[in-house]
Amino acid sequence: MMDTVQAAQDTHDHHDHKPTGWRRWAYSTNHKDIGTMYLCAAVFAAIIGGAASMAIRAELAAPGLQFISDTQFYNVMVTAHGFIMVFFVVMPALIGGFGNWFIPLQVGAPDMAFPRMNNISFWLLAAALVLLLASAFVGGGAGTGWTVYPPLSNSDFHGGPAVDLAILSLHLAGASSILGAINFITTIINMRAPGMTFHKMPLFIWAALITAFLLLLAIPVLAGALTMLLTDRNFGTAFFEPAGGGDPIFWQHLFWFFGHPEVYIMVIPAFGVVSQVVSHFSKKPIFGYLGMAYAMASIGVVGFVVWAHHMFTVGFNVETRAYFVLATMVIAVPTGVKIFSWLATMWGGSIEFKTPMLYAMGFIFLFVVGGVTGITLANAGVDIAFHDTYFVVAHFHYVLSIATIFAIYCGMFYWLPKMSGRMYSEAAGKWQFWITFIGVNVLFFPQHFLGMAGMPRRIPDYPDAYAGWNMVSSVGAAISLVGALLFLWILWRTIVAGEKAPANPWGEEGANTLEWKVDSPAPFHTHDQIPELPDAGVHQPAE
Amino acid sequence: MLNSTVTKKTRNSRTAFGLLVIVAGMGSFAYASEPLYRLFCQVTGYGGTTQIADKTIPATGVVERVVSVRFDANVNHKLPWRFEPVQKEIRVKIGEQTLAFYEATNVSDKPLVGTATFNVTPYKAATHFSKIDCFCFTEQVLRPGQTVQMPVSFFIDPEIVKDKDADDLATITLSYTFFQDQDQSAAEELAAQTTFHFRETGQKAERLPAQTTDLNG
Repeated sequence: MMDTVQAAQDTHDHHDHKPTGWRRWAYSTNHKDIGTMYLCAAVFAAIIGGAASMAIRAELAAPGLQFISDTQFYNVMVTAHGFIMVFFVVMPALIGGFGNWFIPLQVGAPDMAFPRMNNISFWLLAAALVLLLASAFVGGGAGTGWTVYPPLSNSDFHGGPAVDLAILSLHLAGASSILGAINFITTIINMRAPGMTFHKMPLFIWAALITAFLLLLAIPVLAGALTMLLTDRNFGTAFFEPAGGGDPIFWQHLFWFFGHPEVYIMVIPAFGVVSQVVSHFSKKPIFGYLGMAYAMASIGVVGFVVWAHHMFTVGFNVETRAYFVLATMVIAVPTGVKIFSWLATMWGGSIEFKTPMLYAMGFIFLFVVGGVTGITLANAGVDIAFHDTYFVVAHFHYVLSIATIFAIYCGMFYWLPKMSGRMYSEAAGKWQFWITFIGVNVLFFPQHFLGMAGMPRRIPDYPDAYAGWNMVSSVGAAISLVGALLFLWILWRTIVAGEKAPANPWGEEGANTLEWKVDSPAPFHTHDQIPELPDAGVHQPAE
Repeated sequence: MLNSTVTKKTRNSRTAFGLLVIVAGMGSFAYASEPLYRLFCQVTGYGGTTQIADKTIPATGVVERVVSVRFDANVNHKLPWRFEPVQKEIRVKIGEQTLAFYEATNVSDKPLVGTATFNVTPYKAATHFSKIDCFCFTEQVLRPGQTVQMPVSFFIDPEIVKDKDADDLATITLSYTFFQDQDQSAAEELAAQTTFHFRETGQKAERLPAQTTDLNG
C-alpha cells in the first residue's frame, strides 16, 4: 500500500492536474486558488469602497451640499466605505489573500490544514459582501457608521431591514474570519517543515499566527454584541435600551473590545509583509528577529486592554481615564521596537529601491505619522477636544487605511511574480508608488488641520472656514484615484503581457523564505516533498 | 507513511477543536459581560449608579457637613407624561435621611406604566449616595390625567468624608429619566378595572406603596 501510494506520487506528476473551468474556483480547495479569489474579491470590494470614498470627497470638496442632497445617503456612503474597506478589502487582501497564498508556501506545507473549510471561509465572505451591498438598497440603507452605535442603530432611527442585513453580513464575515483563523493556526502549529521551530518562522508567519489568535478572541465578542443588537431591534430585548434597563454605553464597550484588536488584526499582517520586504531588499536578515516577533505578540496582547480610549467622552472617572491613557501609550513601546528594527535592518544594507521596497518604506513613514497622532489622541484630555473631529479621521486613515493599503500594494508588487509568473514594469510601478504616496498625503495630511480647527466627521456640509483644506484634501483623493487606476492597469498588463518571471526575481541574498524556492508562477501543488529550509539559522538572533 | 498521515489528521482536528473552544468561550464572555457590567456599575458607582441601602440610618451618624442635592427630571419622548421635581434643591447634612418628591402627570388618555432610570453626577458621588426607598425601584402606573407625587428617600454616606477625591463635593445632582415600560400589563389591568368608574383626575399627593421586597428591581 505504501509503495503504491509512493509510486503514484512519483510517476504521476500532478502539477497540472486540476479541475477546469468554474469548478476549479467554486469548489476550490487549493490554497493558491483560494488566495487568488480572496485577492480578486478585495480588488472588487475596493472598487466599490473606493467609489464610496470618492463620493464623500466629491461632496466635501466645497461647502454646501452639491452632489448629495439626501444626507442619509451620505451616511450610507460613510458606513459602506468603512465596512467594505475594513471587512472586505484590507482583511481579505492581507489575511485571506496573502495568508492563504504564502502561509503554506513559507512553512513548507502542501496546503492548508483544512482545505474544504478554506473554501467555505471564502464563500461565506462572498455571501457577506452580497448582504452588505443589499443593505444599501433597502429601507434607506444603513447609515450608522461602521461603529453601529445605538440609539442611532436601533429600530427607532433605523427602522427598516437595512441594519439587520448589515448585521447579518458582519456575522457571516465574522464566521468566515473565524474559520480562516482556525485554519491558519492549525496549519502554522502542526504543518511546519521539520526544523522550522517557532523561533525560525518567517515574520510573515508570526504575523499571521498572531492575527489569527486576535481574530479568534475578538470576533466572537463582535458576534455576541451584534446578536444583542439584532434582538434589541427585532425581539424586544433591551441590552442597549435604557427604557428596559439597558445601556447604550454597554454597546460601545463590547464594540471596542472587538474594535481595538480589529485595528491590529488589520495592521499586524502588514507588519509581516513589510518585514519580509525590508529584509529581502536590504539583502540582510531582519534586525532583532525575536524582538520583532514578540513585539507583534505584545501589541496583540496589550491591544485587548486599551479599548476604552475610543470612548473617553462617555464620562469615565479620572482613574479609569488614567489607566486607559497609560495602557494605550505602552503600545508605543513594542511599536517603536518594530520601527527601529526595520530602520536597523536597512542600516548598512545594500538597499535596492524596487517598487515593493518603496512601498515598505512608505508604509513605515505613514505608520509613524499615524502612530504619533495616535499618541496625541491617547491623552484623554486632548481626545475630549478632538473626539469625532477630522483629526481622528486623519489619524486612523494614516495608520490603518493608507499604511495597510501600502502594505497591500507592497505585497502585491513583491509577490506578483510568484503568483502570476510574470514581472510588472518597474518604471510603471515606481510611477504608481510616487503618485499614490503624494496623493494619500495630500489627501489626509490637511485633515489634521481641519480636525484641530474643529471640523466634525460624518457630516456632509461645513462652514466656509474649512473650505480651503477640504479642497486640497479632495484633490489628494483625485491623485490617489489615479494611482489606484494605474495599479489596476499594471495588474492587467502584468498578467496579460508581463515578462516571464524567474523563481526568485529579487535576488538570492536576503531571500530566506521558502516561496522563492518554487517556480514562478508557483505550481498548482507545491511542497509535496518536505522542503529543505533555506539557510537554516538565518532567522536566528544576530550574534 | 499512511500512519503519519492519520496522526497528523487527528492532531489537526484536536488543534481545531481547542480553537473552537476559545471561540465559544469568547462568545459566551460577550453575553456574560451583560450581568457583569451591571454588577460592575453597582459596585463601583460607574456611570453614576447610586447605592441601595437598607431601611437603617447609618450608624456613623450625622456629620456637620452640608451638601446641596439638586433634582433633575426627564421623560423619554415616547412616554406622554409630565415629570418634575417638587423641590429644585435641598441642602442636606451628610448622614441625614432626607425625603424628596417628584411629581408626575399622565397627560395621555390611557393608563401607562413607566419606569425611571437614574444616576447622580458627579459620578464620584455615586458610591456615597444611598437610596433607602425610591419610586425608581418599581414600575409606576398612572391613570389618564392622574398626578402623583413620588418619593425618594436617601442619605449621603458619612464615609464620604474619608474619600479624598470627594473633598470638593458641594453639589450632587440626582437625575431621573422616565421611560415607557415595555411591559404594559399593569396598565391594561387598570384600564379593565376602571372602565365602570368615572375618570379620576388631579389626585394629588398619593403615596405610592413602597415595595421593600423588590429593591433590586
